[in-house]
Amino acid sequence: MTEIEITKGAIALIGYGLAAIGPGVGIGILAGNAVQAMARQPEAAGMVRTTMFLGIAFTEALALIGFVLFFLA
Amino acid sequence: MELEILAFPCDTQTDVVCTPPFVNELFETPDVFTIFGVGVNRAMLLMFVAAFVVIALLYFALRKRAVVPSKFGTAVESLLTLVKDEIATGIIGPQGAKYAPYLISIFLFILVGNLMEITPFINFPITSRMALPAFLAILTWVIFVFAGFKEQGLGYLGHIVWPKDVPIALRWLVGIIEFVSIFLVRPFSLAVRLFANLVAGHVMLTLLLVTGYVYVVGFSNATFNGLFGALWWVLALAIFLFEVVVSILQAYIFTLLSAVYIQTSVHPEH
Repeated sequence: MTEIEITKGAIALIGYGLAAIGPGVGIGILAGNAVQAMARQPEAAGMVRTTMFLGIAFTEALALIGFVLFFLA
Repeated sequence: MELEILAFPCDTQTDVVCTPPFVNELFETPDVFTIFGVGVNRAMLLMFVAAFVVIALLYFALRKRAVVPSKFGTAVESLLTLVKDEIATGIIGPQGAKYAPYLISIFLFILVGNLMEITPFINFPITSRMALPAFLAILTWVIFVFAGFKEQGLGYLGHIVWPKDVPIALRWLVGIIEFVSIFLVRPFSLAVRLFANLVAGHVMLTLLLVTGYVYVVGFSNATFNGLFGALWWVLALAIFLFEVVVSILQAYIFTLLSAVYIQTSVHPEH
């Protein structure tokens, strides 16, 4: 492995770390609010859970794209 | 001693930590055998195994129609009911019943494919090769585009590129964004989500198990290395449990998002 390849890998790793910050915060807020909603209205828990998974799936995609770009770099 | 790790030779006497030459080493699957000039690798074989497992599961669970089904039959039936009621008709609405067979098929196939990650002696999720998630995402794409044109005619495309409920000055911009997000980003993110989740789990398990193996078997002459290796294995066991959850959840999410995409094609107004 040449110097350039190692440097590229290291930069890609940092890029993945940066890409994971936003979705991490987002999923935290999302799950927290979903728990709050379920605690306030337990009979709506099923609907809230489905919507929560949907939201998590959309939010998580950003981090996963960063993860894939790490492999592509 | 010479170890064969990750399909490349690794001499534990000279290399302290056996680093793979590149991360892409993990993504190379050599051909098992060649038939008529077409190489067949492990992922393809396991794909047939997964399809066979799904067929066998459904056949043996639903073979006999009884008033009181067996325990196994009840379990499979409740799984199918979950997909049919919660996902198909729950999200798409009354028209969802005709998409239920497709959703059930992809749910079971992805579930079996994902669970291969944690099956002993297989330890390889077929959905961690981009070809399979990409194909399934394209299949969903074709179905929701086809459903849109079938339910709304050419108005389906018209609603997307020229949305009527947006101020006229912004319509072209919203139209472009919607067009790209529906026809390009949707299938891409659907495929990448499944792929990346499974690759992450697979890489994590590989690293932990190989590290433990190298510590225990590789340099067993040192004093504490066996203990370190055992600790890595304990961590790997915890990750195994985590991966069970991830496998089931990703199969569920793929099916759920497919249903949501079909729903947006079938009902344009909401």
